Amino acid sequence: MLQFLIRRLTGAVVIMFLVGAFTFFLFYTVPQDFAALSCGKNCSPENLAVIRENLGLDKPITTQFWEFITGIVAGRDFPQGHCSAPCLGVSFDSGEFVWDSIIDRFPLTLSLTVGGLVIFLILGLGSGLLAAWKRGTATDKIVSGASIVLSSFQIYLLGPIVLGLLVYSTGIMEFPKYHNFTDNPGTWALGMLIPWVVMATIFTAQYTRMSRSTMIEQLQEEHVRTARAKGMKQRYVFFRYAWRGSLIPIVTILGMDLSSLLSGAVVTEFTFDLAGIGRLAVDSSLTKDLPVTMGVMLFGAFFILLLNILVDLVYAYIDPRVRLS
Amino acid sequence: MKPIRTRTARAIAVAIVAGSLALTGCSSDNGGGNKGKDESKSQKDAAEQQDPVAYGDAAASTGPAKEVTGAKSGGFINVYMQSDLTHMDPGQIYVSDAGQFSNLIHRGLTNFQEDKDGNLTVVGDIATDSGQSSEGGKVWTYKLKDGVKDEDGNEITSADVRHTIERLYSKVIFDGPTFVQSWLSGNDYRKALPDGPYKGKHLPDSVLETPDDKTVVFKFNQPRPDLPQALAMAGYSIVPEKQDTKEKYDKAPKALGPYKIAEYKPGKSMKLVKNDQWDPKTDAVRHQYVDGFNFTNTVSQASQTKRLISDQGEAKNAIQFTDSVDPAQMSDVVSNPETKKRTIQGYQPYVWQLTFNLDRVKDKKVRDAITYAIPNQSMVQADGGRYGGEVAGGLLAPTLPGFDGTYDPFGKLKKPNGDPEKAKALLKEAGVKEGTKLTYAYSNTPRGQAQQVIIKDALEKIGFDVQAKEIDRASFYEQVGKLDNPYDIYMTGWGQDWPSPSTVITPVYDGELVADGASNYSHINDKQVNDLIKKALTQEPEEAAKTWEQAHHRIVEEINPAAPVYYSKQIQLYGSNIGGARYSNESSYINITDLYLKQP
Repeated sequence: MLQFLIRRLTGAVVIMFLVGAFTFFLFYTVPQDFAALSCGKNCSPENLAVIRENLGLDKPITTQFWEFITGIVAGRDFPQGHCSAPCLGVSFDSGEFVWDSIIDRFPLTLSLTVGGLVIFLILGLGSGLLAAWKRGTATDKIVSGASIVLSSFQIYLLGPIVLGLLVYSTGIMEFPKYHNFTDNPGTWALGMLIPWVVMATIFTAQYTRMSRSTMIEQLQEEHVRTARAKGMKQRYVFFRYAWRGSLIPIVTILGMDLSSLLSGAVVTEFTFDLAGIGRLAVDSSLTKDLPVTMGVMLFGAFFILLLNILVDLVYAYIDPRVRLS
Repeated sequence: MKPIRTRTARAIAVAIVAGSLALTGCSSDNGGGNKGKDESKSQKDAAEQQDPVAYGDAAASTGPAKEVTGAKSGGFINVYMQSDLTHMDPGQIYVSDAGQFSNLIHRGLTNFQEDKDGNLTVVGDIATDSGQSSEGGKVWTYKLKDGVKDEDGNEITSADVRHTIERLYSKVIFDGPTFVQSWLSGNDYRKALPDGPYKGKHLPDSVLETPDDKTVVFKFNQPRPDLPQALAMAGYSIVPEKQDTKEKYDKAPKALGPYKIAEYKPGKSMKLVKNDQWDPKTDAVRHQYVDGFNFTNTVSQASQTKRLISDQGEAKNAIQFTDSVDPAQMSDVVSNPETKKRTIQGYQPYVWQLTFNLDRVKDKKVRDAITYAIPNQSMVQADGGRYGGEVAGGLLAPTLPGFDGTYDPFGKLKKPNGDPEKAKALLKEAGVKEGTKLTYAYSNTPRGQAQQVIIKDALEKIGFDVQAKEIDRASFYEQVGKLDNPYDIYMTGWGQDWPSPSTVITPVYDGELVADGASNYSHINDKQVNDLIKKALTQEPEEAAKTWEQAHHRIVEEINPAAPVYYSKQIQLYGSNIGGARYSNESSYINITDLYLKQP
């Protein structure tokens, strides 16, 4: 297991480096004067030169890359001050350190992810299992039908409907807003409730369908049938044998969804005017704020790699065959 | 104060605004359609926005500011914005959102005072008056008021004013206005003090003199009658020497105005609270009615409008800061008397024009033909209808002194949808063959796309083969700002920095300012225009107005470097608990310093 971990972590570092190098050269070698994007009215050649110098764009591309890499490992100095490791550079647009911007946005993204995750896992897996347990009954049909209808919704459609009902028309709730969990958990939960519910609704439908179908598949597996034939209780067989077997595809999808959400729930954030990693990514790409775009990409790549490793570890826990191989 | 260029953040904000405007412009007249009476601002209303600016004396500059009728103290106003402020360091501030913010926390030597009818007077802000000129306007002297302090209680002295001006020469500053520096030390002013004041060097007394703690003397090599107005720009607000943290100041400036920053989360939110060191007796313009402002910098234009229409919860105490009503919801706003009474409206200083690249479109007859062919009214429709703009006859906005609403050399007011027959005749005279290629560059925003269709259609009808080239919105002005750009025509927008044609004609049409990245997008370089600009810049405002008019007519009628398309308008919405709201002619937005809560 230790060897497995070392191997995967080493691979992850190499992949991170390659992603960083590839995106850096891809972005910075395009024929565009990024200084001009920051140059205001009365933009003069003198002002352009000042901006190039301030942003470090006057240096050779290899020097810029070396400074970028060393900054991640050891930090860098900018006119704004010292940028501690892992320094991802400074925003062309706001002058903020990229790492600080990401870390500042991350609590919201994490809150959105965790809150949504709890809701959609409980509801999604619960209803999927219920439908599988009651396969062919009215309950199954209602749950399956509802999941099909809900999965055809989109956050940008459902969000405004919920806002219209609960905020704009009735004033029952305030517009969603992020508050620090540590300041007041109640306010935090209340402020995020609508985004959680809306986001979870979409994901719930997906997980309901998936858990139902994988459970039904598992229930038809030979080892499950054998367990039943041996006279084991249905509930025991359902959870001990079938449920465990159905987890692998669910964990796989969950890992992908989690890495995606932790890299920024773009549509949810824009629908509810929230400022998380997703909005940072979109804003930076619209303004061609390359250091921020790169930083968010690397941050996202980190979670993808991390969750891939975690998913592999969970596979090993769930399925002894994986552990043995 | 050009809306579309400046910093990228602003470009995006405007692009998003523009985008949604365009979306609705295609479907209907979103100035309320037929549901409501047309009460959008007309050029008659513009009259009050174009009165010449007066220069106030010591009495006009003495605080406190005149009370707003019915104003109450207390409570917080919620401010909705789409994106963060571009800058907070005064030296870097040039665009509207930061300028509006600046009036809450910064103070300069002078400021604009606006009466209830919208008439503007330049008064002393931290100075005792709008300035005393001598030597025919070449020398301007300012005396500082007593009792002006920064938020930490440090008294502001002439050394702080000197520091404020001198730091603009350093590399720390690259995004603010350059008028005063250029007037003092020439266009290559940075060479006069490359490190600013940071290494102990200063401008000589022959340029900027501070004979005592309370006196500042500006010395120019030619008359600078606009100095009091230039100094009222947010970009010349005071940065106290002791508080200057150079690059870091942009994120944590020290306040001299009625409010100070209590909390700032970049890209997300900001909280302003009362600055207890601000003395209303020293301020003839600002008030401090509310306890503070809560900015949320992530609220889309559509969401701002929805929240304010609903007027539920915290939205009752909210305002749009610099964004307009979402055009898609315009009819909901203007057709409902309850929401309509919660709007403010007025002209913005921006004029949209179809700029010709004079290095490529060299024949004036061709330029005139294109100008006649453009369906201005359709272009307005693509930008929000009658509440978003109005057909332009010339290149100077209705907000400028001397604006002539009847000026219409291309007959656009009579034929707002263009005159293709006349255009064809001109092209025939010019010997332009059917199918001649014309490259039109446009910003890739929904509005840019909608307007591209209109322009392409109009010009193809008169025989051009229009090659439409999209440019991503973040780099549009960078691309068309290149001298050797490969485009024939492109839409550009520009607005005044203060109510004087000098801040429009000079930067956009002065041939001596043709350069890569500069704002003379047409590359016009006409000796007569250049001479008129030089002459007007040294004249007193009333005399200069005639010269500017001459220059304007010469530009539009004799050169035609840009087809006038439309004047931009503003309509903003606020919550039902907001008191004192009106349109500010100075900022072109809600008058931020007069606001109060009806029920704090």
